[in-house]
Amino acid sequence: MKKILKISWRNIWRNKIRSSIIIIAIIIGIMGGIFSGAIRLAAEKQQFEEAVDNRTSHIQVHHPKFVANPEARFYIKNGIHIAKEIEAIDGVHSVSERSVVEGMVASANLNAGVRIKGVDALAEALTTNLNSLITEGTYFENEGRLPSIIIGEALANTINVSVGSRIVLTFQDIKGEMISASFVVEGLYKLSSRRFEESTVFIQSKNIYDLIGKEKHVTEIAVVIDDVDNYRLMAEKIRKAFPELDVKHWADMEPSLYYSLEFLNQNLIWMVGIIILGVSFGLFNTILMSVLERVKEFGILMAIGMKRTKVFLMIIFETIMLSFIAGVSGLILSYGMIRHFKVKGINLEGVGAEGLEDFGYATVLYLDLDPQMYFQIGIMVMVFAVLAAVYPAVKAIRLSPVEAVRSE
Amino acid sequence: MKTVIETKNLVKVYNGGVAPVKAVNNVNIKFNEGEFTAIVGPSGSGKTTFLNLIGGLDKPTDGEIFIENVDISKLKERKLFDFRLKNIGFVFQSYNLIPVLTAKENVSFIMLLQKMKSNEMNKRAEELLQAVGLGDKMDVRPSKLSGGQQQRVAVARALASKPKFILADEPTANLDTQSALNLLDIMARLNKEENITLLFSTHDQRVIDRARRVVTLIDGAVSEDVNK
Ligand SMILES: Nc1ncnc2c1ncn2[C@@H]1O[C@H](COP(=O)(O)OP(=O)(O)OP(=O)(O)O)[C@@H](O)[C@H]1O
Ligand SMILES: [Mg+2]
Repeated sequence: MKKILKISWRNIWRNKIRSSIIIIAIIIGIMGGIFSGAIRLAAEKQQFEEAVDNRTSHIQVHHPKFVANPEARFYIKNGIHIAKEIEAIDGVHSVSERSVVEGMVASANLNAGVRIKGVDALAEALTTNLNSLITEGTYFENEGRLPSIIIGEALANTINVSVGSRIVLTFQDIKGEMISASFVVEGLYKLSSRRFEESTVFIQSKNIYDLIGKEKHVTEIAVVIDDVDNYRLMAEKIRKAFPELDVKHWADMEPSLYYSLEFLNQNLIWMVGIIILGVSFGLFNTILMSVLERVKEFGILMAIGMKRTKVFLMIIFETIMLSFIAGVSGLILSYGMIRHFKVKGINLEGVGAEGLEDFGYATVLYLDLDPQMYFQIGIMVMVFAVLAAVYPAVKAIRLSPVEAVRSE
Repeated sequence: MKTVIETKNLVKVYNGGVAPVKAVNNVNIKFNEGEFTAIVGPSGSGKTTFLNLIGGLDKPTDGEIFIENVDISKLKERKLFDFRLKNIGFVFQSYNLIPVLTAKENVSFIMLLQKMKSNEMNKRAEELLQAVGLGDKMDVRPSKLSGGQQQRVAVARALASKPKFILADEPTANLDTQSALNLLDIMARLNKEENITLLFSTHDQRVIDRARRVVTLIDGAVSEDVNK
């Protein structure tokens, strides 16, 4: 057995150019597969992180009627208290209770429809990190004559305002009457979801209670949990505790994101697999060629008494070793590549990706890959390689020794 | 004297072409231990076919082949592999050696297939290569050897398995005169000194007289059998 391994090993290097080419092809295949897989995954993950961390949180609680009719009158009774109770549930990291209403925002000469979120500055910072998204101005630090408002950069451009500008919010109070109030733009935030940025503004809840006509008015409780993966369980827990409220987790709120993530998680390995399968056809061709070239040699080995199984193994070992070298190098190089782009990120700007932002994709992607994937891909390369070698090997040993000896 | 090979009414018919070809036609012949025989005859007379039959590489259409007491024409394919490995040494016209192994490794390889111990194996490989005059080429790969040297390694390998006899189908066909004579001299010497039974086929007038027995085939039948 050892000798057969040795012969196989040396056979690989008989045609150095051919072996090198196939090794390089496999390496490129692996790297290409991993790269394209990782970039898809990074795009989705980044979108997920932003959607969940900065927008929806893991779970949201509303009055059941508020979902279809986001009006001030459909508020959560005892909202502040309920928020506290939810926060006390084991596994909940933080909550932010908000007074959310639909309304209009108007600058000197332009206006737009927006969702106004009245928040507790600290709670909001803890749940959605809104404070860290501020690109200009400050995050609810000023105590001026007019109450502060934080709006998205995109909205600021649309209605042509900047930090320090005065704008007017118009919305319905708890009785359904229209009210207006002036705010001063204290800060601008930026998210890669332009849609969210254009349609969501933040004010402090203490400033909204008066206007809306109810103290401690809460229409929305955003919940962040300790372990994201437990979101279904935690949503169920909250639902059980407050059966009269509408409880949704992020997957309910962002179904398309959820499905594309699910799809990717299940199919990433196959996406990569298809690329590697393509390379395997090249490998198959090479092995077949190299076997057919050596028909005479195998025939003579069988003539002198080397068993067919050994000849078969010899050919299979060759492929296993070849693909092992290529697979391991490919994976190591891929690991390096992913590491590099994990730190540096890939800037998609300038390759026509500016438009991506409108769909909620970030323009700089930080690649990462589950270590398990390397392992799976490694196995896959070996399996495909062995499969590619089986037919040529069978062909070689089917040959009768006389035929081989006779074929001049 | 002990009979090593005996054929009885040996027939091989090929049905490949337009009409069936009787490549070996009713051959009854014996080869004794220690004989050094040349199988000669014109091209297409059945020399290769005959050697392949007694080497267990091909199945006869009819008749029997006894190697000592075993009728190899009745052996199953699987058994034949083993039988060849243990009992018959082969030297072919070309492509004899594994290109990626050195001369010594090529000779050892067959002993390895026979599961011989490695120290014994090494010693024997070295002795045999010395015997065919390649003591200084042990660690050289076949591509660095001349055709004649390669055939000598093949002879050493054929001997390595301690076979009952050695078959060589046109071993000198690709060699120049000097190398051909040299190879035959080595074979003749091994035959004389070690009492090894050797059969070789040839067209080559230059080497026929090295053999002590010359069997002439014509149209698959023995037309002449001369002992010198
Ligand atoms: N596989 C085959 N199928 C059909 N006919 C064959 C086959 N092998 C050999 N023959 C025929 O059998 C006859 C004997 O062939 P063989 O090769 O044994 O002759 P040979 O004496 O070795 O010839 P040469 O000196 O040219 O090597 C020839 O007529 C040949 O054409
Ligand atoms: Mg012939």
